[in-house]
Amino acid sequence: MTAPAQQQKQSQLEDILPLSPLQQGLFFHALHDSGQDVYTAQVVFDLEGPLDVAALKAAAATLLRRHANLRAGFRQRKEGTPVQIVQRQVRLPWQDVDLSASPEDEREAQAKAVADRDRATPFDMARPPLLRFTLIKLADGRHRMVFTNHHILLDGWSTPILQTELFALYLAGGDDTGMPRVAPYKNYLAWLAKQDRGAAEEAWRRALAGVEEPTLVAPEARAATGEPGRVRLRLSEQLTADLNARARAQGVTLNTVMQLAWGMLLGRLTGTTDVVFGAAVSGRPGDLPGVEQMIGLFINTLPIRVRVRPADTVAEALTRLQGEQAELMAHHHLGLPDIQRLTTVGTLFDTMTVLENYPFDPDAAGTDLGGLTLTDVDGYDASHYPLALAAVPGRRLSLRVDHRTDLFGPEDAERLAGRLVRILEAIAHRPDAPLASVDVLTEDETAKVLREWQGPVTERRPGITITERFAEWVRETPDAEAIRWAGQSITFAELDARANRLAHRLIGLGVRPETPVAMLLERSADAIVSSLAVLKAGGAYAPIHHGHPPDRMAWAVAEVGAPVLLVNTPMKDRAAELQGAATVIVVDDDPELAVQPSTDPGVVNRPDQLAFVLFTSGSTGLPKGVMLRHRDAVDLVDDAAMRNGGHDRVLVHSAHAFDASTYEMWVGPLAGGCAVVAPPGQLDAAALEHVIAEEGVTGLFITTTLFNLVAEERPAAFAGLKEVLTGGEAGSPAAMRKVLAACPDTEVGHVYGPTEATTYTTVTGMRAPLSAGERSPVLGRPIDDMRLYVLDAGLRPVPPGVTGEAYIAGAGLGRGYLDRPGLTAERYVADPFGAPGERMYRTGDLVRWRPDGQLEYVDRADFQVKIRGFRIELGEIESALAAHPGVSNVAVVAREDSPGVKRLAAYVIPAAGVPDDPRQFAEQLRRWVASRLPEYMVPAAFVVLDTFPTNPNGKLDRRALPAPDYGRANAGRAPETPEEELLCTLFAQVLEVERVGADVSFFDLGGDSIAAIKLVTRARQAGLELAPRDVFTYQTVEALTRRGEEEQLGFEVLLPIRPAGSRPPLFFVHPAGGLAWSYLQFQRHLSPEQPIYGLQAGAFTREELPGSVGEMARDYVAEIRAVQPAGPYHLAGWSLGGLIAYEMACLLQADGEEVALLALIDAFHSQDLEAEKRQILPELLESIGIDATMIADDGNPDLAQIMAVLADREDALSTLGEDDLVNVYRNYENGVHRAEEYRPGPFRGDLVFFTALQGRTDEMPTGPANWGPLVDGRIEDHPLDVDHHLLMEPVPAAEIGAVLAAKLDELYG
Amino acid sequence: MTNPFEDPDGTYVVLTNDEGQHSLWPSFAEVPAGWTVAKTEDTRQACLDYVNDNWTDMRPKSLIEAMGG
Repeated sequence: MTAPAQQQKQSQLEDILPLSPLQQGLFFHALHDSGQDVYTAQVVFDLEGPLDVAALKAAAATLLRRHANLRAGFRQRKEGTPVQIVQRQVRLPWQDVDLSASPEDEREAQAKAVADRDRATPFDMARPPLLRFTLIKLADGRHRMVFTNHHILLDGWSTPILQTELFALYLAGGDDTGMPRVAPYKNYLAWLAKQDRGAAEEAWRRALAGVEEPTLVAPEARAATGEPGRVRLRLSEQLTADLNARARAQGVTLNTVMQLAWGMLLGRLTGTTDVVFGAAVSGRPGDLPGVEQMIGLFINTLPIRVRVRPADTVAEALTRLQGEQAELMAHHHLGLPDIQRLTTVGTLFDTMTVLENYPFDPDAAGTDLGGLTLTDVDGYDASHYPLALAAVPGRRLSLRVDHRTDLFGPEDAERLAGRLVRILEAIAHRPDAPLASVDVLTEDETAKVLREWQGPVTERRPGITITERFAEWVRETPDAEAIRWAGQSITFAELDARANRLAHRLIGLGVRPETPVAMLLERSADAIVSSLAVLKAGGAYAPIHHGHPPDRMAWAVAEVGAPVLLVNTPMKDRAAELQGAATVIVVDDDPELAVQPSTDPGVVNRPDQLAFVLFTSGSTGLPKGVMLRHRDAVDLVDDAAMRNGGHDRVLVHSAHAFDASTYEMWVGPLAGGCAVVAPPGQLDAAALEHVIAEEGVTGLFITTTLFNLVAEERPAAFAGLKEVLTGGEAGSPAAMRKVLAACPDTEVGHVYGPTEATTYTTVTGMRAPLSAGERSPVLGRPIDDMRLYVLDAGLRPVPPGVTGEAYIAGAGLGRGYLDRPGLTAERYVADPFGAPGERMYRTGDLVRWRPDGQLEYVDRADFQVKIRGFRIELGEIESALAAHPGVSNVAVVAREDSPGVKRLAAYVIPAAGVPDDPRQFAEQLRRWVASRLPEYMVPAAFVVLDTFPTNPNGKLDRRALPAPDYGRANAGRAPETPEEELLCTLFAQVLEVERVGADVSFFDLGGDSIAAIKLVTRARQAGLELAPRDVFTYQTVEALTRRGEEEQLGFEVLLPIRPAGSRPPLFFVHPAGGLAWSYLQFQRHLSPEQPIYGLQAGAFTREELPGSVGEMARDYVAEIRAVQPAGPYHLAGWSLGGLIAYEMACLLQADGEEVALLALIDAFHSQDLEAEKRQILPELLESIGIDATMIADDGNPDLAQIMAVLADREDALSTLGEDDLVNVYRNYENGVHRAEEYRPGPFRGDLVFFTALQGRTDEMPTGPANWGPLVDGRIEDHPLDVDHHLLMEPVPAAEIGAVLAAKLDELYG
Repeated sequence: MTNPFEDPDGTYVVLTNDEGQHSLWPSFAEVPAGWTVAKTEDTRQACLDYVNDNWTDMRPKSLIEAMGG
């Protein structure tokens, strides 16, 4: 072998090097980002004049030869470490494109297409070089150079160096002998390896301490696709000069000025005062020789943290930022992922800034380019950030806002750039202004958010009070209905008289203007009478929530300092527990009332006078009383949103102490309409539908949770209403759509507002927006004379689209918190935007204006949460728990561990360390809280910890608290019967947990009244009849199934199997044994709307046996008429029951009633049943599924034997006592005789017949043959392949059920 | 978002209006029309203490007069 040949075989591999941190990041992206690599950069410039193409090509080749790092390819070692492999030689990727022959007006487009194609062609990371040159000839003496490269090779700072070197080499014809040696990129990599990583990490950790969340302008953005949009603008020379002067005066760099401006803008965009964004830094270490002439990737992206304190002046903020950044200068080499790992936040930002102080300057190249003129056409340096700001210094500072077009439109970017300019103007000209005073809104935007989008300004009737308004209606329509209650009407005159009597009584007890009067009333007309009476006496009513534990109620009564407590009879005992100083009057049982005059006491109220006090949860551990005035209630009543015809007959169903009571009690009657008071207790969907239809209710309010539930279970329940108002929590457009579709004549009004501003601040009809494709539960705009400001931390209005805190001003703003001046001054604050001296209420709700002027709810700003519509301060629960002697530290959070289900979880550190049995401790705490706080404030889970997770500042890190193991609490015994299994499954579904033990309380698992209603509905659908009260009473699956035995399996003649439902009932008549229990299973097969009753023999409740089928039928008709006075009747019966049902049908027809369904289950008349000779007992046992020969060899078991067998069964019959069994026997024997004797008469109508095919003898007639001669209608025969005695086994019963269900659905479906 | 009324390290003033109503107010923010500074810049707690000590009748002044005191 010759030497030259050996040389040729010399390895192509020149070097293997590590990657710099930024290279690693880019390599990672290149590997994992599918599709277009957004890190392809491009520089495009035009060359005017004669061009020596060969020389340029040679220059490019030399460039590649000189810079080893441009010849690098990138691979991953087997163990995962990425490396760059430098090839000794690479082919020069050069392409010539000649467009000079194309029509002149097309060349530009073609040239652009060429460049675009170049950029779109991905690089293979493993195949160097990751760059390409394309020279486009546009015309003679006109060329365009397109240089495309992967960002991993070189950064923007390198571009001008590369251009300069390229043209120096061009002039030398590609010969670099006279040029200085290149400082290689590997020197930089070596420098990196020597840096003190620990010190850098410490510096960054300090700089980012306390950053608890990322600053994201597009938190929901997916991975970048496509190219960013760009908006450019140039500042005036004057502003540029002023900014530079400001920087100099302040001793800061222009970079710091730009960073403060961007930080302020971000603060306004994200509604925060502590922001982080990325900044590109040159990354070229000053102590690395030759670094300024190096071509390569040095640039780094670093997090810049800016604290935009509203109180800081511009000058202070600049100085502070410059100082903070100077501290970090020596640590710019740490990679972004390494820095982000130092925080608990993860990704810190999604916006970037870069000060591009590297424009190519041909003059700087210094030499004659051989008659060539170079013009910068375009460059492309994409980033994947939603927003990036590039600033290019110059006589006129130019700004470029790069934006992801999938997230921001060009007009958004323009607007942003405009806001940035306003901020820069403020920085330049107002160094002493607090940052809070810097306005980013345009005049047009200010006009919109403060005026145009606010509630309409109306002419209010001055000086009106609740009592005066009521008096007007008493004069005008004294006989009109003011209240409906328990099926009775109370007219305005009657209400007036009743309230007057009580008012006189109250005045007698010392009630004077503004005297608070506590009230503890179960829902009734008395609540309205009493409220009005208090007002007539001049006082203010203060309803106490009767669901609260006695301590809390007692506290509230004492807090209002009420001399009188009004209660009604159902609450009398509760009141007695309170033992306060107040005089207790039982309003529906007070002998003194009758002697009081019914005339108006003549007390004059004033509009600003206190009318009522409503308690809401308070963060300090005690509720606070919101004071509202007469005018507040009347303003709500008169609001256009209330006077659209939808709220003339309003349903009163919320707790009196809930702020919806203002709407419910007054919006009807004070406008001449009516308040319809629902019966006490929680209403389920069926009950709501019933009361709406029955009472002609036009409007009602329902909490979001309940609304969603009704929408799910029975969306048509609201169909009778003109408008259903709902709100309190984030609404569900899907639920609203469901209701709107099921109720074509009903509007769904979405409401928002705190108690402090009298219940509703916004009311928005959702039908129009939802049908126009609206996807979010918008809040609309404020109602009449109300204003809602969306302000930032500096109390400036935020731009549309930006989240801020809601402040409410105008009508309905109450007086403040009872006896809490400090708290009032904190929350009801001076209004900078209203009339002089006005106040605004600080809600703590985060909202935003959409660009179309619709308000959207975002979140809470603090630790207040809403659970099932109840406003809860977590601090109040924490205070209650902290008061337990065994607790050393506590945190309560609202968790959403399964979507849409918000539950409270309490985390507790015990004072004496974690006890051996944390469950027992947790149970103790649960009872402690339950005795002090209302049920909805009792956490669903208690987690005992020995320490709390903390963030780097040592503060509790709420997000790091472990998810409670709801599952563990669900332990308990497994279900043992099918019914238990069914219920356990339903419990688990409703509570959204994996499994539920049969002996664990529904409420211990986080169940609440809403969940209970859900459970009842689901159970009903599954054929299991439950009432909400059953769930509260029995709580566990075990107890609930036993309740079924106790309550349903009675011996009463009329057995209510499922008493509820909208259809006329179906009555099943017992077979010969006399019991109707076997009919219980039809619940599963018939519509939940179908009430079902069983009829049972009287022998269980009385001594004598009936003498005939006719006698039984007469008895039973009387029974069924008690629950269903008039037809159409539905009757069915098995065996003897069929005969009785037939006879009942005949009796009903004789009475002129309609019998719409008559079903006979294998029942035949006039048959010789060999009553005297029959072996009754074995037959009877067989009919209940017991083979007599299995118990006793001779087939004649004695009673004790039978009882033992029955007791072993886990079904209904196991509860039968001996006497009952004897009764069954007596009935059976008697029934067989009476059946033999029965001779039916004619029946007009159809008959549904079921025939048991098995065990039939030839002598037995068919149903149609047996009944045909008596019936004038059709006889439908359904054969079943089963023995007569086994017809009520599950399978045949299901077939019978299906036929009956179809018949009934035909009638009522 | 830190609410300007909830900054434990911030300084505040107390404002009052013609009705005698009191408002906590961050000292950095301009005083709105119709309000005057009743207590100059101090800590949040000092300002709240001032309100609790001085705002003893929370009825607006015009109502107090109309109700005859």
